[in-house]
Amino acid sequence: MTIRFTLNGRPVALDTDPGRRAVDLLREDLGALSVKEGCGTGECGACSVLLDGELKLSCLLLAAQLEGREVVTCEGLGDQAAPHPLQAAFAEHGAVQCGFCTPGMVLAAESLLRENQDPDREEVRRGLSGNLCRCTGYVKIVDAVQAAARERRGGRRKK
Amino acid sequence: MSGRFPRVDALSKACGAERFAADHYPEGCLWAGAFRPGAAHARVLAVHTAEALALPGVLQVLTAADVPGTNLQGIVHKDQPVLCGDVVRHAGDPVALVLAESREALERALGLLRADLEPLPAVFDPREAMRPGAPRVHAGREGGNVLMAAEIRKGDAARALAACPVVVRGTFETPRQAPAFLETECGVARRLPDGTLDLIVSTQSPFRDRFEVAQALGLDPLSVRVRAPYLGGGFGGKDGATVQCLLALAALHADGRPVRMAWSREESFTAGYKRHPSILRCELGADRDGTLRALRCRMVLDTGAYAHLGGEVLELGMEHMAGPYRVPHVLVRGFCVYTNNPVSGAMRGFGVAQATFCAERMMDRLAAKLGLDPLELRLKNVLGPGEENACGVRLTGSTEARACLTALRGHPFWTTRREWAAQAPARTRRGVAVALAHNAMGYGGGLPDMAAAKVELTEEGRFRVYCAVSDMGQGNVGGHAVLAAQALNQPPGELDMVLPDTERCHPSGSSSAGRTTYTFGNAVLKACAAMTDKLRTRAAQFLLCDDPASLVLESGRVVWPGAGKSVPLALMARFLPRDDRVCVAEFVMPVAREVSGSSRGFVLGFPHLLFAYSAHLARVELDELTGRVRVADYFAATDGGGVVLPQGFEQQIQGGAAQGLGLALMEDCASRDGRLLTPDFSTYLVPTALDLPEIGSLAVPSHESSGPGGLKGVGEVAMDAPLPAVASAVEQAAGIRLDAAPLTPERVLAALRRTRKKKP
Amino acid sequence: MTRVLLPATLPELWEALAASPGAPLLAGGTDLLVRLRARRQRPEALVGLERLAELRTIRRQGRSLRIGALATHAMIAGHPLVLRHAPVLARAVSEVGGPAIRNMGTLGGNLCTASPAGDSLPALAVLEARVELLSAGGTRLLPLSGFLLGPGRTALAPGEIVGAVRVPLAADFQVQHFEKVGRRAALAIAVVSLAVLARLEKGVVAEARLAVGSAAPTVLRCPEAEELLRGGRLTLSALERAAKAVRVAVRPIDDARASAGYRRQVAGNLLLRLADL
Repeated sequence: MTIRFTLNGRPVALDTDPGRRAVDLLREDLGALSVKEGCGTGECGACSVLLDGELKLSCLLLAAQLEGREVVTCEGLGDQAAPHPLQAAFAEHGAVQCGFCTPGMVLAAESLLRENQDPDREEVRRGLSGNLCRCTGYVKIVDAVQAAARERRGGRRKK
Repeated sequence: MSGRFPRVDALSKACGAERFAADHYPEGCLWAGAFRPGAAHARVLAVHTAEALALPGVLQVLTAADVPGTNLQGIVHKDQPVLCGDVVRHAGDPVALVLAESREALERALGLLRADLEPLPAVFDPREAMRPGAPRVHAGREGGNVLMAAEIRKGDAARALAACPVVVRGTFETPRQAPAFLETECGVARRLPDGTLDLIVSTQSPFRDRFEVAQALGLDPLSVRVRAPYLGGGFGGKDGATVQCLLALAALHADGRPVRMAWSREESFTAGYKRHPSILRCELGADRDGTLRALRCRMVLDTGAYAHLGGEVLELGMEHMAGPYRVPHVLVRGFCVYTNNPVSGAMRGFGVAQATFCAERMMDRLAAKLGLDPLELRLKNVLGPGEENACGVRLTGSTEARACLTALRGHPFWTTRREWAAQAPARTRRGVAVALAHNAMGYGGGLPDMAAAKVELTEEGRFRVYCAVSDMGQGNVGGHAVLAAQALNQPPGELDMVLPDTERCHPSGSSSAGRTTYTFGNAVLKACAAMTDKLRTRAAQFLLCDDPASLVLESGRVVWPGAGKSVPLALMARFLPRDDRVCVAEFVMPVAREVSGSSRGFVLGFPHLLFAYSAHLARVELDELTGRVRVADYFAATDGGGVVLPQGFEQQIQGGAAQGLGLALMEDCASRDGRLLTPDFSTYLVPTALDLPEIGSLAVPSHESSGPGGLKGVGEVAMDAPLPAVASAVEQAAGIRLDAAPLTPERVLAALRRTRKKKP
Repeated sequence: MTRVLLPATLPELWEALAASPGAPLLAGGTDLLVRLRARRQRPEALVGLERLAELRTIRRQGRSLRIGALATHAMIAGHPLVLRHAPVLARAVSEVGGPAIRNMGTLGGNLCTASPAGDSLPALAVLEARVELLSAGGTRLLPLSGFLLGPGRTALAPGEIVGAVRVPLAADFQVQHFEKVGRRAALAIAVVSLAVLARLEKGVVAEARLAVGSAAPTVLRCPEAEELLRGGRLTLSALERAAKAVRVAVRPIDDARASAGYRRQVAGNLLLRLADL
């Protein structure tokens, strides 16, 4: 069956088993390798994507459910030549150690900042509470998200 | 790469561009997966493969009969079959390996495999396993279920204890903790036309892997190539063969096609390597003024069905049982025991996390009994430079444990502890406590801790560093880049960093034991020094300078400051043949030479010379209604020698503390009759962002003269203190003593109910 | 190959269900897909409900809120109508999983999974919600207790879906309390949970409703405890008496997450939290 959707702004048409997991489709057929599999059961957030702008877990999405929708992965936010402010902030503030949770974390942070432009640390933690990190203890991730939020607001701090 | 990003790998990872072993899907690759029947101990009568083989897309189903060589893997002890033939000894033991064309075909095939098993008597408690007549995990093994029995002795502990005015006692238990890295065990393998086995694996030990694979499968180790990309976490669980032998076996049967294997999360829990559960019994004797006199203790470790690094974990744990304190008389007995439980192996802290729980809680017991402040008691007994530790090793390296403690003493969290506790909200108890950890660096006595670094001036005139130790997130590649850049006076972004590749880099040991930046970093500095010498000498020829020592390296060139002349490296490189553009240098970590204590029973690793120290403070809140423990604030003061990368230092401390807090609060691979009750992330709980506090970190002034840039490894030490700090804070909060980890709400509530202590 | 049917209208849905009678229903996928993976099951067909926009609305209907079965936990947690008229439900669903799970998981899914630990269920119980079941043959309405039959068991008949949940407006209950006890602060299955609605008149309890989750085969109202609170104030001693009654009423089990004894003790303890409100 042909599934048609947009991936990081580009139209995609794929002939595939509609019951296949979105994470497999994205990684194996479309080269979106930033989407990681950490558990396959929705418990770690490493497979996070933005689906029509909403943070979702691609290990619990089927190919058929992507039809007609917009999928954004971490690669779609920015690249090393022109990083997204969150990507740059993560790199700058030591929020990246092994890096496996990072793409999902960046998307969760982006989703948070779209709802809340000036989250306090507890709000950031809540926004990231579905993304496990085993390396950092989260402190510098929270630093990075707040720094990126500040930058987006033009450096003005409200809280 | 701009100076804005301190780590060389950070931006590529943040953009999702970095390729892990999990990200390899070679053209035409086959999918390999292991069939694990799930019995804790059974004789394998038959494995029924016909149904699976008949599926379209299934190419092979291999069993033990298809394994050439010894069919035994292992790091020190080769006791673990690649594919079990006669017997399975734990629920994760594999009996078959499927090769299929697709993920779906593999899944289907694994679902159709069956094994006929005859259950065998099994043993799950290490103390039981030590008794005569206990079921044997390895039939016919001399020594029965005891992998290692060992002793560390200094002075006469029995006599000294008998004479002590004060003796405190305790028994402690720590659980099976899973490394739970986000990237599971995985890799790809291919047999090349020339017979080389080419592996890309998420591994901490690429060089040793060659030998493990070769010995298990009857191959020439030099015909095995292993490359280690950045690992999505390791923490010890990827030290030694995980997928490697299975992948290699698959590749041998794949007719030249590449093969991919990635363990599912459930498989990682069942078959992966975890922290040794421990039972620790201790007697600590002291004078009335708190001066420690004697320690007698016993450590029992459950190593599960296979040895992995059990003996070495035992050694290191035993070596740390007295804490970083002056104790004249010490007797430590230890047993590492086989059971039919899942396999215990290396995990960050490596026996020290277990030992530190015991050592630090005993100090708290002693302080309570003597009515002494727990921090002052530690200050009274803490070791200083040049003193002899509990194993009789003279601490000739940097030893700033005292400074770690005094940093806590002056911290507002400590000075305001009584007021903070008194302000506990309704139905909440508050407590503040400290713990001091030490953690040895390196392999220890008997096993050379060596690294060989290669630095090359490429044809284009760039510097290339061949990193040989895996980077599992600790940032050692970035650390080596900084060290090399400083040594060569080049911008770090201008260096090419080659990730570990057994074909291009030189054997340098595993990424473990807090050793990588220290040992490999030292080798890098030596190689850079040789390179610098070489280039100045050669440049002197170009520049007609008769004093090469007066030349300096700068970005992209060698400069003669006195004459205002320089020569580009790119130009020089064209005139030098390859073997003249490469410098290789080795470094071996120093070992203890003055040892007044003695040990018996260890194979490798006793004793260690260099230690990192970390004093932690936890402010804890306990909910009376549910028993939930919340760590409200956390602070660590660490002696890691000189700090070359401040951000990297903090990353290790915060990350180590986070895993230690997980061990303290919620992590436990509980099992019943050898089967895990926690085979996934919904049952095995690691802390989320809402479960951890802000973690403050201070590097106390220190300098390790033998370390590159004065540094010591701090990869492990932060892991060891959280459990005792939290347990102690809980005791301060509510007067309850919990000697078994994790401190689950249920355990806390039960203790609260038993005590029924009134709030002060 | 798995056929994934995604009907966009109810008539299309009935057709799909008739054509594939055994096909599991997929809402958010956060329970179904995990279960299929654990059991290594690959159904021949799945019927996905996500395109049925009419099942996703939240609106006021007379003296109730009508919450479509496909409303996600995130939608419900932030919806002005829910926050105004049934905040206890918003509090409860905002504890489900983590942000992405809340974007995917649905109220209907939470109901149909019928886990004893389902986070929305204690809130729905104290709200005395009714479940609207739709089929090709029409609509029927069941009280929550009539819908939840046991762990993982509901009164859903073949060919039927949960269309909506009707929640009587409850803004007159000043106390709208929910507490979930997990073994960690997010991504946790409730070990025990408590929802409370209390209507106070000059500080005296005119009506109290208590429901405990994860301490019985299904969510449990505690009428004896409710009765003990009625007519009094929410003092610690009154709450302690009611807590005792809760502990008698619950029927918890031992499992990997907690023992029955812990659940029993804490189910009562959670009531004492009301003394601090």
